[in-house]
Amino acid sequence: MSTVWLPCGTYHQSYEQDQGWWQTTFIRFKMILLLLCIFVFIPLFLPSYFVGVATMVGYTAMGALGVQLLIGYAGLVTLGHAAFIAVGAYTATLLVLQVPWPQWMLDLGLAYPISIVVAGIVGGIWCVLFGLPSAKVKGFYLILTTMAAQFVTVDFILTQYISQIGGRGQAFSLPPGTIKVGPIVIDSEREVYYLMAVLTTLMVMALANLLRSKVGRAWVAIRDNDIAAETMGINIVWYKLLAFFVAGLFGGVAGAFWISNTAALSPEHFPWFWSLWLVGVILIGGIGSIHGAIFGSMFMVIVMELLQWVVIPLSTYYPKLLVDFAYIKDSAFGLAIIAFLIYEPNGLAYRWWQIKNYFNLWPFSY
Amino acid sequence: MELFLMSLVNGILVGGIYALVALGWVLIYKCSGVLNLAMGELTLVGAYVTLTFYEMGLPFFAAVLCTLAVGIILGILVERVFLDKLIGEPVLTVIMVTVGISFFFRGLVEFIWGTDTRVFEPPIFPIEPISIGFLKMSPVYLWSFILAIVLLLVFVGFFKYTRWGLAMQATADDETAALSLGISARFVYAAAWSIAFMSAGVGGALLGNINGINISVGYLGLLVLPAVVLGGLNSIPGAIVGGIVIGVLQNLSGTYLDKYFPGGVKDIVPFVFMAIFLLFKPYGLWGWEKIERV
Repeated sequence: MSTVWLPCGTYHQSYEQDQGWWQTTFIRFKMILLLLCIFVFIPLFLPSYFVGVATMVGYTAMGALGVQLLIGYAGLVTLGHAAFIAVGAYTATLLVLQVPWPQWMLDLGLAYPISIVVAGIVGGIWCVLFGLPSAKVKGFYLILTTMAAQFVTVDFILTQYISQIGGRGQAFSLPPGTIKVGPIVIDSEREVYYLMAVLTTLMVMALANLLRSKVGRAWVAIRDNDIAAETMGINIVWYKLLAFFVAGLFGGVAGAFWISNTAALSPEHFPWFWSLWLVGVILIGGIGSIHGAIFGSMFMVIVMELLQWVVIPLSTYYPKLLVDFAYIKDSAFGLAIIAFLIYEPNGLAYRWWQIKNYFNLWPFSY
Repeated sequence: MELFLMSLVNGILVGGIYALVALGWVLIYKCSGVLNLAMGELTLVGAYVTLTFYEMGLPFFAAVLCTLAVGIILGILVERVFLDKLIGEPVLTVIMVTVGISFFFRGLVEFIWGTDTRVFEPPIFPIEPISIGFLKMSPVYLWSFILAIVLLLVFVGFFKYTRWGLAMQATADDETAALSLGISARFVYAAAWSIAFMSAGVGGALLGNINGINISVGYLGLLVLPAVVLGGLNSIPGAIVGGIVIGVLQNLSGTYLDKYFPGGVKDIVPFVFMAIFLLFKPYGLWGWEKIERV
C-alpha cells in the first residue's frame, strides 16, 4: 500500500516504488517547486526581515523535529529539550573559540562545520545520559527526569560553570569571521538563512528516512504499546536510547546553528520556557508527523510576529504595552495551546492532510 | 553537628510548606488523573493575591483566608473552563493543557504585578531568631511550618472524614463505580482543583514570606514535583513525607555541597536525587505499581 494517494492509472510494481519519496510526477513537481521556494525565492526575493523570520521558523523546526521524534514517534515525553540544544550551542562555541585550530583548517573554513558535527554528537550523548531512566520508568515519572535534564544542564552546569570559561562572565560572544563554512563567512541574514535551510532539509531527510526504515517502525511499535513491542522481539531499551540519541543530535545541531544567528550565547537563550514551547509547537502542528513540526513552527513564529505588529502601533497610545509584550506573549501562547488541544486536537498537519485529500478527489468527491 | 541539626530543622520546616503544596497536587492526580504541571504558577498566583490583600490593609491571616476564597473560585473556574472538556482525552493532551494554564497564569501575573521582587511590608513575623536549646530558627520558618501543618491537617481531615471528601475518595478509587452511585464527577474535579489552588496559594504566600515574592516562587512551587514523585504519585502520606524529604535535602545540600559546587546546587539537588531514586524505585515510595498487560 502506497503511503501517498495515487492518481487513477498509476500502479506500483515493487516495494521500492511503494516506499519511494516522490512517487508521482505531480509530487515531484510540487517538491521541486517547494525546494525552489526555499532555496531561491525566499532568500533572494524577499526583504531581509522576512528572511529573518524564516530563519527563526527553521531554528524552531530543528528543535521541534527532535521533540517530535521523541514524543510523536517514540512516545517518550520530554520537557527538557532546550537543555540539549544548549549543550550543542555551548559545545560548538567552545570548540570554535577555545580549540587551537591549525591555520590551514581555518583557511578552509572547516572549524565551524566540524564543530556542528561534534556538537550534534555531544548533544546526543548528553540526551542519552538523561534518557537512561527510560529503561525503567515511564509516563509521568519519565517526564520528571527530562525536567531534571533542563534544570541540571542549563540552570546549573551551563550557568555556573561553562559560562565562566574564559572569564567573560555570563555571555560568550563570537568575533566576526569565526563562523565560516568553507570559503563563506556567515555574517548576513541570507547566509544564516542558507545554513538553516541546508541543515533543516538534511534533518527532515534524515528523519523521514529513519522513519520508513526498521528503526522507525520499531519506534512506532514502542510508542503504540511497548510491552507488545518487546514480545515481538524489539529491544526496547536500545531503541528508546537510540531515539534519545537522534533527538539529542538534532537538538545539538540546532544549537550549533543558533550561534551563527546570534553571534553571542548566554544560558538565557535556553530557558525551561523554550522546552515547553517546543512541545507546544508540535502539539499545535500535530503529533506524529514531520509536517506537524514544520507547520507548528511556522504557525507559532508567524503568530508571534503578527502579535508584535499589532502591539507596536498600539504602543504609541499605551507605552506600557511594549514592556508588557513578553508577558502577553506568554499568556497568548498558553491560551493558543489550550484552544488547539480542545478544538483541534489533531493539529495543523491533520487539517493539511484533509485539504490535500479534498483536492485529490476534487471536483468529484464521491 | 550543630550546623547539621540546624539545616535539618530548617529543612523540615520548609518541607512542611512543600508538603502542603504537594498535597494539592496529589489530590488532583488521585481524583481526576490529571498530571498538573501548573503547580508552580498556582503558588505564584497565591503569593501575589495574598500580597495584594495584605497591602490593602488586611491582617496577614485574614489575607490568607481571602486567598483561600480566591483559590476556591479560581479552582472551579479553571476546571470548568479548561479541563472539563478534556475528560477522556490522552494524558499528554491534559498535561499540555496544564502547561498552557501555567503559561497563561505566569503571563497574567507578570502583566499585573510586574517582575520586581516584592516583600510583605511591614514584615509579618519578627526577625529575631527564636532559640530552642542551642537551635536557632527564624520565626518565619516556624510560623509557616505551623500554618502549613494546620492546613495540611484540615485538608486531610476534609478528604478523610467529610461527605464531600468521601465522594472524592470514591472517585479516586473507581470513577465508574462512583458515577453509578450518584457522585458528580464534575463536582469532585472542581473540589480537587479548588483544594490544589488553596494549598498552593497558601504555600506560595508562606514561601514569599521567607524570600520575598518574585517569579522564582513559581520555581519553588515546581519543587513539589520531585516531592510527589518521591512519595509516589497517588499517595497522600507519600506527598507529605516527600515534601519534607525534599525540604531537608535542599537545606542539607545548601549547607554541605555548596562548598564543592558553588552556585545554586540547592535548587537542582532535589531533581538529581529524584532522577537517581527513580532508577531504583520506579513508582516512588508508595505509588501504585501499574501491572501492564498487552
